[in-house]
Amino acid sequence: MPQFKQDFSPLSIEAIHDTAAARKAEGFRYVQTLAVNTEDGVDLVYSFMKDGALDNEVASGVPRDAVIPSITDLYLEAFVFENEIHDLFGVHFEGIAIDFGGNFYHLAVKEPMTIISPEQKAARDKARKIAAAKAAKEAKAKKAAEQGGAEAPAKAAAAEKAEAAADAAAKEAELEAKLAVMDPEKAAKVRAAMEAKAKKAAAAERKGE
Amino acid sequence: MGKSTIIPFGPQHPVLPEPLHLDLVVEDETVIDCIPQIGFVHRGLEKLVETRDYNQFIYVAERICGICAMGHSLGYAETVEALMGVEVPRRAEYLRVIWHELSRIHSHLLWLGLAADAFGFESMFMHCWRLRERVLDIFEKTTGGRVILSVVRVGGVNRDIDDAMLREIVSVLDGIKGDYAKIMNTLLTDTSVKNRTVGVGVISKEAALDLSMVGPFSRASDVPYDVRSFGRGAYGDLSDFQPVTDAQGDCFARVKVRCLEVLQSIEIIKELAAKIPAGDISVAVKGAPAEGAQASNVLEQPRGECYYYARGNGTKYLERMRMRTPTSQNLAGMATALKGCDLADVNMIVLTIDPCISCTER
Amino acid sequence: MGSFKLGGMTFGSLFKKPETTLYPVETKPVPAGLKGHIHNDVEKCILCGICAKTCPCHTITVDKKNRKWAIDPFMCIQCSSCVYACPKDCLRMLPTCTPVSASQFCNVFEVPDPKNPKPAVTPSSPVKWDFSEPDQLGQLEK
Repeated sequence: MPQFKQDFSPLSIEAIHDTAAARKAEGFRYVQTLAVNTEDGVDLVYSFMKDGALDNEVASGVPRDAVIPSITDLYLEAFVFENEIHDLFGVHFEGIAIDFGGNFYHLAVKEPMTIISPEQKAARDKARKIAAAKAAKEAKAKKAAEQGGAEAPAKAAAAEKAEAAADAAAKEAELEAKLAVMDPEKAAKVRAAMEAKAKKAAAAERKGE
Repeated sequence: MGKSTIIPFGPQHPVLPEPLHLDLVVEDETVIDCIPQIGFVHRGLEKLVETRDYNQFIYVAERICGICAMGHSLGYAETVEALMGVEVPRRAEYLRVIWHELSRIHSHLLWLGLAADAFGFESMFMHCWRLRERVLDIFEKTTGGRVILSVVRVGGVNRDIDDAMLREIVSVLDGIKGDYAKIMNTLLTDTSVKNRTVGVGVISKEAALDLSMVGPFSRASDVPYDVRSFGRGAYGDLSDFQPVTDAQGDCFARVKVRCLEVLQSIEIIKELAAKIPAGDISVAVKGAPAEGAQASNVLEQPRGECYYYARGNGTKYLERMRMRTPTSQNLAGMATALKGCDLADVNMIVLTIDPCISCTER
Repeated sequence: MGSFKLGGMTFGSLFKKPETTLYPVETKPVPAGLKGHIHNDVEKCILCGICAKTCPCHTITVDKKNRKWAIDPFMCIQCSSCVYACPKDCLRMLPTCTPVSASQFCNVFEVPDPKNPKPAVTPSSPVKWDFSEPDQLGQLEK
């Protein structure tokens, strides 16, 4: 009985067709092609399988204007995926056996999968800011521990300040994420209220001084 | 040789439960070429993964397709578990497989009914769907839903089946088996069924391998590929598992393979119900998938192998979730099977592939 | 003769109890675990809002200030994820389904305050909340 195992290996764009041909010669079964939208282009994942070994080949960072050679001359069944990726991600394939020329899916928006929704962007920014704040905190703590000695109090105070700033940044990011998900009218109201609050606080500070 | 004509088939057609369009190039009464087209029910469910966290998306995954609902939630949960390195309790794995095999029985019975209806066997259609109703009643009693079960969660299952219920499931399945044997006997020995299906839409073993076909469609062409035979999850504890195959590769072989798979599923459920271990049914899953982590997974659904891919981005929302369904893999095989057939046989061939278009487009 | 066998089965069905039910007159018995609609046992509820966060369809609104817990039964998909998420086990799934209705409404539960118990009887039965009137929707959101 064959055992299931999977692995991911990198693949260059030029080698896509040659790899598919080599896989076909080795008797691999074609499984699928998929695309992932990333900041530096589109990642294409080609999967082949033989005796339970699932081989995922990842061509990362394919530029949006690149032309990818179609593998439908080797594996006819890939025409579904190549047309789909063309319609949803805008990646161009050359020489698809059954080419629908962008009319495979009836879409309201062009290349919908490349649009980053506000929710996703907010969630990503939040995660990134929190990670950055954490890293900054750790770095500061390390520095303080390393230097130590006489200057320690001043350094510690500075570190504390930086920490507070990082915390504030993380909090702000969180709030922004929440606002992005809300409907625009409500978000505008909340923003206005926050501004008023900040003004009041500033005024109170000035009075105190 | 006559003049060739293009005949559009679908997207609305009495034999098709779902919108599939075929451009058939016909010469006299013979189909010489076929171009399949889908794209009428694309709903962008993969995009929804950005607005639902990985626990919530399981309910979206379930709604990709009504018949494969259990399979999609199971495949999705297994993929996310692989992504996050979660170990599922043994009892949960058994329960998942029991529900999954029950859904295979209900899917195949539904398909048998539709196929019987397609060649004008109305009473067979009624009998198949009558038996399917009993499987749906089991679902209703054990999960609280008839079609959308919402019973799998990341890290296990939501509901347990107690021993009394397991015994009841086995006795209901035994009851189904008696009636089902009669139906199957009719289907596989009746001359009118054979006249419509034997030798129609033949796919050779070489073509099946060449076109990477999956599921009962490929097993009818003597390709013994079944994801269940890898023995993952509770399938590993089965005493013996041999994929059902047939060497003929025609429509009759595909009917036969699906017929026998129902019996196989009943045996699997009975064996697992006897062997099921006691213990927890789920583990708590905390945290989020790491940034850039990726996992793939395959699962044998009623229609064949389904591929899942997930990539994390450090948040509880996944970066990408992808399902490659068996029908999209079989479309090229279907176009090949249609070449050279009679126009009157087109609906029979399309139906024996068991296309599930809403799965394919998501 | 294969078809004759099935003919026997079909003929036999004439004398058996029908598989179908005469729907409006008789209904199918409901199994105990059926996912019908969500009920909140208000005495145990602490208005923590975890259910609202877990819900994949955002159907639950928790108003801590006015001590109100509301669910829109027309948006609910009966996945019962809120039931599993509830830390106080105050949510339950009852087997009766939401009946057909001409207008959409919200099931609002008033949660009594343990510190400040009202002398009046708290209405634990769901209040009909008509979304066709914009005022009420605004109140709920506040």
